[in-house]
Formats: sequence, structure tokens, C-alpha cells
Amino acid sequence: MSAPAGTTRRFRIFRFKRGDDGHRYDEFDVPVHERTTVLEALRWVQLRKDPTLALRHSCFHASCGTCGVRVNGREGLGCVTALADVSGDTVTVEPIANLPVLNDLVADMAPFVDRFPAPHPNVRESEFLPQADTPDDVEGYGRFEDCIECGLCLSACPVAATDDTYVGPAALAYAQRMLEEARGTDREAILDWADSEAGAWRCHASFECTEACPSNVRPAQRIMALRKELGSRKKVSS
Amino acid sequence: MVRSGASSSHVLIVGGGGTGGALAHDLALRGVKVTLVERGEFTSGTTGRHHGLLHSGARYAVNDQESAIECIEENRILRTIAPGSFEENDGLFVAITDEDMAYLPAFLEGCAATGIPAQQLTPEEALRLEPNLNPALQAAVRVPDATMDAMRMPLRFFATAKANGAELFNYVDVAGLVVQQGTVTGAAVRDLVTGREARVDADIVVNATGPWSEQVARMAGVDVPIRPSPGVMLAVRGRLCNMVINRLHRSGDGDIIVPQRALSVVGTSSWSVEDPDDLDVPADHVRRMVEEGSLLIPAVREAAFRAAWSAARPLIGSKDEAADTGRELSRTFKTIDHAVDDGVEGFVTITGGKGTTLRGMAETCADVICGKLGIEEACRTRETILLPHNAAFATGAVA
Amino acid sequence: MSVRRGADPGLDEIRKGREEAGPVPRKGVGPVAWFDIRRRGLGHFAFSLNRITGLGLVFYLYLHLAVLSTLLRGEDAWDSFLGVATSKFFLLLDVLLIFGLLAHGLNGLRLALVGSGRAVDQQKALYRSIQVIGTILLLGAALRLMGSE
Repeated sequence: MSAPAGTTRRFRIFRFKRGDDGHRYDEFDVPVHERTTVLEALRWVQLRKDPTLALRHSCFHASCGTCGVRVNGREGLGCVTALADVSGDTVTVEPIANLPVLNDLVADMAPFVDRFPAPHPNVRESEFLPQADTPDDVEGYGRFEDCIECGLCLSACPVAATDDTYVGPAALAYAQRMLEEARGTDREAILDWADSEAGAWRCHASFECTEACPSNVRPAQRIMALRKELGSRKKVSS
Repeated sequence: MVRSGASSSHVLIVGGGGTGGALAHDLALRGVKVTLVERGEFTSGTTGRHHGLLHSGARYAVNDQESAIECIEENRILRTIAPGSFEENDGLFVAITDEDMAYLPAFLEGCAATGIPAQQLTPEEALRLEPNLNPALQAAVRVPDATMDAMRMPLRFFATAKANGAELFNYVDVAGLVVQQGTVTGAAVRDLVTGREARVDADIVVNATGPWSEQVARMAGVDVPIRPSPGVMLAVRGRLCNMVINRLHRSGDGDIIVPQRALSVVGTSSWSVEDPDDLDVPADHVRRMVEEGSLLIPAVREAAFRAAWSAARPLIGSKDEAADTGRELSRTFKTIDHAVDDGVEGFVTITGGKGTTLRGMAETCADVICGKLGIEEACRTRETILLPHNAAFATGAVA
Repeated sequence: MSVRRGADPGLDEIRKGREEAGPVPRKGVGPVAWFDIRRRGLGHFAFSLNRITGLGLVFYLYLHLAVLSTLLRGEDAWDSFLGVATSKFFLLLDVLLIFGLLAHGLNGLRLALVGSGRAVDQQKALYRSIQVIGTILLLGAALRLMGSE
């Protein structure tokens, strides 16, 4: 459903300030055109209608992962979610789920970050353009890991919805990447970390994390790969 | 925990971009009590929106050698203090037209003069390194560009500052500055999280708000020569290059392509605005990115669209200057002590600059601030390794 | 330069404001997430159905044991139960039971393959196959059950 220039879209935005009894939804009619994104619409509201609306954003191009929201119940990055792709008369925007809400659409990312194992290298071997040479003094081209720590996977996970101790898809995918490409990390320590009730075994294969991921991390697939490794590790040691 | 313990002076930094974060880090290391307030998420202004280039400075080697030298120096320092935050794949300056080739000698001279390592390559060599380049390229020069995550690298400064005792608040807006008898003594703030208002006292208030510098300066009754100068960026799907690809010419639109994970970012353009909050994304500028970008890497033309956005550079230059596009203004940075310039005590502005020079900007500003406060502590940020970015959130920098 | 001493009331206001504001709610928490399949993928549908059928089968188990316990009360009690058990309505419930067994059991096989990392990329195709096989088996069973009597 594409909006021709000069139209408006009704927005229903989750509002909450710390100290309020509960949340509410504020409604706004936002002018949109064919390319308007959810984030652009939200910033219009913030700029023209309500400067107290708190938003989270930084890079505007799906690289920082800060603008994650739920639009009509579905996780997405506001900066690359085109309103043309959002159906329905009303666009309901809520913060991502399964994390505390700091205020309005801003989730508290501290519990998300706390789930990760100890920091490990963020740069991986670049699998793009494998036919390229590298300069003599460069061993191989590096690139940042796909995961942009947006939390959409945790929001979509039905297990995380009822269990705060589950480390979640992002942390497990991160760990599996360390196994795939070690870069000097301690394999056994990673496997020990994952081998727990709150770790790789807590997943119930709904695959919603992979559906929600905007950055092709494929966390569900990585969790299963992690389990395969854990399974064969048990065989060897017993 | 690094503390020299002596000072009980309080510095309030307004603005949570890279500069504010780096300044909080520098001051915290010198034992100064620091509070930072940012109205949105950290780096949500200009800092987070740039393409992520860690400048070699080569772009400025001919016309703005002051900037070029600043860049290459900071480039080296950042790789040392923020290891693991860069894709260290180098960059190429690619000559396509005869006009580009005419610029080549001056370019190489400029790099030599400013200490930027530059290695000329034949087209064949360049294509071996970057197979997606325009096969009609005439020459290429390899320089030590690199790629950073535009949000996460600066976030390391916040993380380290917090660990060293700086108090960093996001979602706290400055409604006004408190000025008493020609001295700025604090700020009237509003916490967006709770809705509460408060008055924060400080010995020095620092204006580190980038393109919003002028708006904040006006709260103290002074003026700063900052022209918000936005530019458009375009992200397309596909990592079309591993190195940073630049056009070998004087600055122009769409002359850089920076890889960002599995995307390629083409930038940028330039125009001037009054209000850095209300930025358009002009469609003709986006089209220009495609046109110019495909001259460097033809695959840009067919690559799928991911995002297009604008970010406002804080360019230093007076309003009277003729430059309409903003390109002619210098990209260097400046600390303004308003006691000296405008007779208003207790207020300092740090502005201008580029993402790459955040640490250097903070050092000169911290020197000025410590000078004003009578604190004799040397800067330690050149050697201090930064904490990982996660630490900015992990224990709740968000209070 | 004046030197600040002691606590800063302005900052305290901000800090305390955030602390005093009380616990922060988690949005969207709860078992509702298990059963909300709107705008969710096939994997989540399988997960949801597994939860529902799992609960249903547990409920059935208790029911079954309760029914069997009528045997303890003698032949008459059992016979009167059999009268109910062969009614059309009851047989329909049996079809429902078989649906639950098939949905849960076949998906369980899929989960064993997927969850051990053996057939991860085929998870959607596997589920489609289960849906087809399960439907065929269910139709067969339903016809037998409802057709007899």
C-alpha cells in the first residue's frame, strides 16, 4: 500500500515516562510520501508535535541497531521500514519487547548487553569479493560482524517473553561466530558458557529471531549449529 | 579507576556526540568531575550518521593541509587506543578522467607534505585489489583509510569515561543556560525519562553540540560561526568493496564509497541550512550519489536500495562568507573560550572537526578547560586503551 | 573560579528522579507471546501449535487416567462410560486427540532433526511435509473413526 504525496497516516505511539502509572497511546496524523520511513515519521512527530517524545536512533542506515521498534506488532528497524510496506489504517509503534522500557519508544539495552559472554573480536574475515588480492602487508580484508546488537531477535523470541534468564539469540549467535572463526578466543570457555539451561538448550526453534534479524545473522541457525557442537563434545568426553 | 583526586570543579558538557564523549573521557582521566547531558541517544546527532570513514587525511592533502595533518595523526592514535574497532583495509583514491589524472601530482605532493603514506598503483594492480572498480580507471593511490562503526567506536569513549567516574545522561535536554552577571553558572535541564526539570550547576559549561552549537551558544547570549551543512548519504545492499574507495579529485559530490558490513555507503553532497533538526533528503542528491558512485564502482547503479539520509556537518565559517555550498569551509576544529572572545565567563564551545578527530578535539578543549580551572594535569588519552563499547550500556550508563 | 563542594542538587534531582520512578515495566512479556501468531513465520506457528497440543495432551492424559479409574468402580461404571465413549460427539473428540498426537509427535521428530543441528536449513520444508503427511493420516483416521458405528 503506497502513499501518494500529500497523504497522511494515522500513528498510534506508545508513551510512557518513568513514574507514570502505566502506558498510553498517543495518536498523530503524520504527512507521508512514498519513501517515508517509520523513523522519519516519528521524528516529524518529535519535531512538530511533541518534543517530549523520546526516540532512539543514530546511523539511519541499519548499521547501528539503535532504532529497533515494533510496528503493528512486528519487529523492525525504524530507519529502513518503509511505511509503504506497512499495511493497515493505523500504524502502531511500540518499543521492542522483552526488555525494560526506559521511556516512550526507548528500551533499556543494559539487560540485552549483559547477556553476552565476555567481549570478543568484532572484526571478522570478509567473505565478500573472495577473488580479490590484498596488499602485501595486509593478510586478509576484515569486516565487522553482521550483528548490530539491535535486540530485535530477543524481542521476537517467545522463550525470552517468559524467561529473563535465557541468554537469547544474539548472544548465542555471537558465541557461535567465535567458534566458526576463533581469532584467539577460548573455544572451551565459549562452549561451557553455551552449555547451560539458560544457554543453547533453552531455544525452542520458533525461528522468529532469524525472521526478525535485519542484518542476516541467522541466529536460529547458529544456535542449532552450536547445539550440534555441544552434542558432539559430549560424545567425545563421555 | 583513574583519579587524581585533587579537583572538585565541575564541568557540564552539553552534547553527547563523539566530541562530548571524548571530552568526558579526557577530563575524567584528569580527575575532573564531569557530567554530560545529551537530549537523545548518544551519537544520535551527526556522529552516528557519517559513513564511518577513518580518515587518512588524503582528501585534504592539497587544499586543507591543517586538517590533513590532524587526520593522519588521529588516524594512527585511534588505531592504537581503540583496537578492534576498525576494518583496517586501507583506501584507494581512484582517477577516472583526464582531469583526475591532472590532479594526481598535486595529490601525491600533498600526501608527502602532510606525512600521509601514499602508494601509486597501476589500474591492473588496483583491479586486483578491488575487482568491482570501474575498469576504465587510469590510476589509483593507496592510502591508510579505514572503516569504523560510526556509533560504536565513539561509544568506547563514553564507556571509558563512565568507568572513570564521569556521569553521562542521555535523554536529558538543555532548556536554557543559567547566566549570572556575565558568567554561565549552569544549565536548566529537563529529563525526558521522567519529565522532571532541574538546574545543574557547573564551573564550566561546554557546548559540544556540533551543528546545534549556534542554538546553544545563543542561550548564553553569544554567537558562534557554525554553519550547519548537511549532506546526503545512500546505502545500497552488497559489500561492493572492502577498501574505502575515493575519487581522486578536489572534493565533490558522491566521491566516496565506504563498506559497512554487508552494505556500501555512497556519500556525500553539501548544502547549507538554518535548522539542523529539519533536514530533507533531496531526491536529486540521492540520484547524484548513484551517478557519481557508479563512476567509481559500476555495480552501485544496479544495487538494491537500503537507506538514504542526511547528516549536518558543523562547519566553521562566518555567515558573511560567500561559500554557499559549505564545501569551501575548512574542516579543522576550534575551541572557543567565550570569556576571551565574548566576555562571557564559564562557557566554552568546541566545534568543527570530523569524526576522525574526536580525540584531538577533546584534548585541545580539555587543555583550555583545565587552564581555566587551574588544573595541572596532562592529557592521557593518546595512550589510554579504551574499554569495549558494550560497557557504555552494560551496567546502565542510562541511569 | 568558584569551587563546588558537596552534592549537586540539580544532578541529584535527575538521578533521584530516575531511581524513585520505580520499577521499569517490561513490554510484551508473558505467555501471550507463545500464542500470538499474527505476522509471525512458519517456525513460530509450529512452536505455538506444539505448545497448545502439548497442553492439550497433558490435559488428555489426566482425563484418560480419570476415565480409567472408573474401572475400579466395577463393570457397571465402565459400561456406562463406554456408552458415552462411542457417541458421535466423543468420536469427534477422538479425532481432535489424533490431531494433537500427530501435530505434536511429527513436529517432535522435526525438532529432533532441527534442534540437533542436522536439518536446520530444511526446517520450513520439513514442516510443510509434516502438514501434508499429518493431514493425510488424520483424514484416514477420521474416516475410520466416524465411518464405523
